[in-house]
Amino acid sequence: MKGPRRDRRFAFLVLGVVPLAGCGGSQDSLAPHSHQARDIANLFWWMMGGAWIGLALVVGLLVWSYKRRKRRGFGDDVEGDKPGEKRSWYAVLGLGIAMPIVVISTLFVISDLFVIKTTQAPASTTTRLTVKVIGHQWWWEVRYPGTNAVTANELHIPVRTPVRVEVTTADVIHSFWVPELNKKVDTIPGQTNVVELDADQPGRYRGQCAEFCGLQHAHMAMYVFADEPSAFRRWLSREEKPAQSPSGGLAADGERLFLNGPCSSCHAIRGTDADGFVGPDLTHVASRTTLAAVTIPNDRDSLRNWIVDSQHVKPGNLMPNFSVSGHKLDALVAYLEGLK
Amino acid sequence: MTSYADTRDVVGRPAAWWGMLILIASESTLFGCFIGSYYYLRFRSATWPPHGIPEPKLVVPLILLAVLLTTVVPMRLAAKAAATGRLAATRLFLALALVVQSGYFAYEVHDFSDQLHGFDITRDAYSSIYYTLLGADHAHVLLGVLFNVWLLGKLTRGFTRYRIHATRAIALYWYAVSVLTIVVYGVLLSARA
Amino acid sequence: MAIATPPNPAAAERMERLELIWESRPGILGWLTTTDHKRIGLLYFWTTLALFGAGGAEALLIRTQLAQPNQHVVSPQTFDELFTMHGITMIFFFIIPMTTGAFGNYLLPLLLGARDMAFPRMNALSYWIFLASAVFIYTSLFIGKAPDAGWFNYVPLASKKYDPGHNIDFYCLGIIFNSIASTLTAGQFIVTILKSRAPGMSLNRMPLFCYAMLAASFGLLFALPSLSADTIFLFLDRNVGTHFFDPSHGGSTLLWQHLFWIFGHPEVYILIVPAFGIATSIIPAFTQRRLVAFPLVAIAELLVVFIGFGVWAHHMYTVGMPTVSMVFFAAATAMVIIPSTIQVFAWCMSFVTGLPTFRTPLLFIAGFIFMFVTGGLTGIMFVAIPFDQQVTDTYFVIAHFHYIIFGAAVFPIFGGMYYWFPKVTGKLYFERPGQISFWLIFLGTNLLFFPMHIVGLLGMTRRVYTYPSGIGWTAYNLAETIGGFVTLGGILVLLGNLAVSYFRGPPSGPDPWRGPTLEWTTSSPPPEYDFAVIPRVTSAYPNWDPADREADRLKLADGVLMLERGHEQPEVTPVDGRLARVAHMPHESPWPAVLALALALLFTMLLIDRWGTAGIMGIVCLLALVGWHMQEPEEE
Repeated sequence: MKGPRRDRRFAFLVLGVVPLAGCGGSQDSLAPHSHQARDIANLFWWMMGGAWIGLALVVGLLVWSYKRRKRRGFGDDVEGDKPGEKRSWYAVLGLGIAMPIVVISTLFVISDLFVIKTTQAPASTTTRLTVKVIGHQWWWEVRYPGTNAVTANELHIPVRTPVRVEVTTADVIHSFWVPELNKKVDTIPGQTNVVELDADQPGRYRGQCAEFCGLQHAHMAMYVFADEPSAFRRWLSREEKPAQSPSGGLAADGERLFLNGPCSSCHAIRGTDADGFVGPDLTHVASRTTLAAVTIPNDRDSLRNWIVDSQHVKPGNLMPNFSVSGHKLDALVAYLEGLK
Repeated sequence: MTSYADTRDVVGRPAAWWGMLILIASESTLFGCFIGSYYYLRFRSATWPPHGIPEPKLVVPLILLAVLLTTVVPMRLAAKAAATGRLAATRLFLALALVVQSGYFAYEVHDFSDQLHGFDITRDAYSSIYYTLLGADHAHVLLGVLFNVWLLGKLTRGFTRYRIHATRAIALYWYAVSVLTIVVYGVLLSARA
Repeated sequence: MAIATPPNPAAAERMERLELIWESRPGILGWLTTTDHKRIGLLYFWTTLALFGAGGAEALLIRTQLAQPNQHVVSPQTFDELFTMHGITMIFFFIIPMTTGAFGNYLLPLLLGARDMAFPRMNALSYWIFLASAVFIYTSLFIGKAPDAGWFNYVPLASKKYDPGHNIDFYCLGIIFNSIASTLTAGQFIVTILKSRAPGMSLNRMPLFCYAMLAASFGLLFALPSLSADTIFLFLDRNVGTHFFDPSHGGSTLLWQHLFWIFGHPEVYILIVPAFGIATSIIPAFTQRRLVAFPLVAIAELLVVFIGFGVWAHHMYTVGMPTVSMVFFAAATAMVIIPSTIQVFAWCMSFVTGLPTFRTPLLFIAGFIFMFVTGGLTGIMFVAIPFDQQVTDTYFVIAHFHYIIFGAAVFPIFGGMYYWFPKVTGKLYFERPGQISFWLIFLGTNLLFFPMHIVGLLGMTRRVYTYPSGIGWTAYNLAETIGGFVTLGGILVLLGNLAVSYFRGPPSGPDPWRGPTLEWTTSSPPPEYDFAVIPRVTSAYPNWDPADREADRLKLADGVLMLERGHEQPEVTPVDGRLARVAHMPHESPWPAVLALALALLFTMLLIDRWGTAGIMGIVCLLALVGWHMQEPEEE
C-alpha cells in the first residue's frame, strides 16, 4: 500500500476528527445547522404553538358541551330559534371566518413572502462553490465542477460557506434532502434544480432520497461533511488526483482482477482504464466512511460481503452477486482498501 | 292513441336532457385536459411543430369543419319537429344530418391515416398529443353518428315520449360536438413554426 | 311521526298494490337485475367493506414490516405493491364507493322524499362496473403484478423503461375502469338531487347530506377527467410508444404530476365532503337542535370543493417551480381552509347550544371533529412553503392525511353505520359495545398516527420498506404498529356488535332517534317503494313538522299522490321544487350487469395487448347498450 504517508495521516485526522466534532448522523429537521433550517424550524415551533391552542379551543367546546348536556330549560318545541342561536352565529362568524383569516394571512405573509427568501435557490453569484449531484437508482453521484473530483454518496463542503448544489437525475425522480441544512429538492429528468447548503458548524449531516424511486429507495442515503475550509481544500485536492497504481503484492493482483473482470464495465477508477458509469466512481472509495449509499460501514467484512452478496444487503440493486472467494477476493479487497 | 302534439316542457327539461348535459360536461373536461396538455407541451418547445413535421393544412380542414357545422341546422329542426309531434319531419331531418355526418367522418378517417404516413404518432410529443386530441374528437363524432343510427332505428316504429326526449338529448350532444370540434381544430391548426 | 302503519283498509289495499308493483324478483336473479337504490346501496356496502378489509390488511402488513428496523417480513417488491395497493384501495375502492355508492345510494331518495334515483339502471351499472374494476385490479395482486410505483405513480418510475411488467398497465386500466363507475354515480346524484325531490322541497329545504353529495358529485365530475387523461397518456406511452412524458422527445415528466394533482387535490375533498354530510345528519338528531348556521354550512360544502380545484400545485413545491407560482398556490390553499373552519365551529356550536346525547353515533362525530381539526391544523402548517419543503414526502405528511382521511371520512362512516343501522335493519344496536368500539378505535388511531408527526420531523421519509437502527425512529414505529392493531380490535368489535345486533337486537321502530329528516318517517327497513305517499315538505327538518306528517296520514287515507299506477315518482324543478311531471322509472334489467361484464372483457383485452379483440368487445358493449334501451318506460 503506497501513497504519501503524510496524506494518510491527514486523511486519518479528517476522518477521525470530523465525526467527533458536532452532531453525528441524525436527520432531524428540528436540529438545524444552517440559517435556512433554523428559520424553518422556528416557523414550525410557532405554528405548533398555534395549533395546540386551536385544538384546545375545539376540544374545549366539545368538553363544555358534554358538561352542559343535562341542563334544563331546553324546550321540546323544535320550531323557531333555539336558545343561543344568535350567539352561535357570532361564534361561527368570529371563530370560523374572522379568526382564521387573521391567523392564516399572518402565517402566509411571514412564511411565503419573507422566510421563503432565505430558503429559496441561490443565484450562482452569491455562492462560493458549486457541487453537482446526480441521482441514480440507488446512489448519489457527486461532482465538483471546475475540478476532476468525482465521488459518490458522501460529499464534503466547506463550513460557513454558501454552497450551491445543482441536482439532476440519470434515471427517475429522486429527491436530495439533508434536513439539518435545508429543504428537499427533487431531481427531475431534463431539468436542473438548485438548493443552497450553508452549514454553520463542522460535522456530519445525514440526508436521504425523499422521492420514491424504486426497490431500494429506502437505502439511498448520503452524508454531507462540513469541514473547516483548509481541511476541505485538502480533501478536494486529494479527490481530484487519479488513483495510484499499487506496486505489487495482493493489491496489484486485485487491480488486475478489477481491470480485467466485470468490475470495470460498471465502475470508473480515474488513472486506469476502468471507465464504467453504471455504478459509483471508486477512485477514492477507501476514503469514504460507508458503502452502498450509507447502508453499510466501509470496513473489510462489509466490503467482502458486498462484493459477494450485494443482493442480500440491498435486494434489487443493479450490482449482481459475484462468486469470488479466497485469494481473489482478498486481492480485490486489498486493492479497493488502497484507493484512499 | 297518445297525442304528442305539444311535449315542449311546461315546467323544466326532462331528466334525459340533464343526463346528456352531464355527459357533455364530463367529456368537455377531458378535452380541456387534453388541450391544456397540448399548450403545456407547446410552451416548453422552441419550435412547434418541431422540425421535420409539416404545419397543419388550413383549407381542407376548415371546409370540412364548416360542413360538420351545417348539420347543426337539421339536428335542431329534428329536435323541434319531435317536440311538436311531427314524425315524418323528424325522420327526414335526422336522415339528412346523418348522411352529412357520416360523409364527414369517413373523409376524416381517410385523412387521419394519410397523415400518419407523413409523421407517425410515436415520433415525439407533438405527434403524440396531435393525434390523441384529433382522434378523440373523431371518436366523439363517431359516437354521435351511432346515436343517430340508433335513433332512426327506434323511430321506424313511431313516437313515444321516451324517443322524443332522446331526440332532444341527441341534438344537444351534436351541438356540443360541433363546439368541441371548432375548439379542437382551432388549437391544432394554430401550430405555426 | 311515522307513516308506517296504514290507518284504514282502503289505504292498506293501495299500499299492497304499490308493493306488488315495486317488488323485486326473488333470489339471486333479483339481485343481479335489481335497480332498487336500497339494494344497490347494500351491494356497495358489503363490497366496500370487504375491500376495506383488504386495504387494512395491506396496512397492517406494512406496519408489521416497519415495527422494527431491518426486518424481512416482506420483500422490497412486495412492500412496494402493498403500499401502492393500500392507497389505491382505500381511496378508490373504499371511501368513495362507501360514502357515495353505499350511503349515498341508500339514503338520497329517502332524504329527498323520492322513490328511486333519476336513472335506476345506470345506478346498477355503476355498481357492476365498480365490482368488476375491483376484481380487475385485485387480480394483479393475486398474480404478483400489482401496481408498485405508489398510488400517485410518478413517471419516469412508472414508465415502461423502469417498470416493464404489467403492473402499471393494471394501474392505468383499473383506474380508468373504476372512474367510469364514479363518473356515472356523480352524474346520477346531480340529476337526482336537482330533479327527484318531493314537491315542496326547495333547495333551501334540502338536507345538508344532499348538499354534501352534490358538492362531491361536481367534484368527481370535473376532477376524474384529469386522471383519465393522465392514465390514457401513460398507457399510450407504455404500449404504443408515444412520448407525452419523455423529455428526450419533447415530452414532460412534470405533465404527469400536474394532471395527477389537478385530479388529486379535489379528490381529497371528494373523500371528506360526503362524510361531512353524514356528520351533519347525525348532529341535529343527537343534539335535538337544528344545525347552527345551516345556509353557511351548505355554501361552505360547495365552496370547499370549488376552491379545491385551484390548489393542486401545493403537492409539487419541491419540483423547482418559480417562487411566484408557489406563492399563488399557497394563497389559494390558505383560502380553501376557511370553508372548513366555518363548518367546524358550526358543528361545535350545535353541540354547545343543543342537548347532546353522547351515544355511539355522536361519539364518532365528536371523535371526527377532534381528528379533522388535528389534521386540518397540520394542513394549515403546509401553507408555509418552506416548512412544506422540509416535511413533504416524510411521515409528517402521512400523519396529516391519515388524520384527515381516517378522522374526517372513516369516523363518520362508522358513526353513520351505527346511526342508520336501525333504519336499514329494523333493529337497535347494543350501546355498550358500541361505545367500547369507539374508544378502541379512537385510542388506536391516535396511537397509530400521532407518532408519525414526530418521526417525520426526525427525518423518516415515506415509502421506505425499512430504516436503520440507532437513528431514533424505532420506538415510534413500534408504537404505531401497536396502534394499528388496537384499531383493528376496535373495528372488529364494531363489526361484531352490528352482526350480533342484526340477529338479536330489539326492534327499533321507524324513528328511534327522533331524527329530523324524511327517512325516519317511513318504516324500518323501508318498503320497496320507500314512501307510500310522497311526503309534504315545508321545512329543512320535515320529521320535526307534526302538521305535515299528519297531512301525509290524511293523504294516505284518500290515496292522494300515492302514484300507484306504475313505477312512478315526481320530477320537480331544480330550484323551487315545484312538481314538473310524473316520471316513469324503469324496473329491473339484466343489461347493467351484462354491460359491465363486456367492459371488463374490453379492459382485459387492452391489458394483454389484444387490440383487435378489444375492438370487438367495444362493439359488444355498444350492442349491450342497444339491448338496454329496448325497454322503454311505460307511457303516461
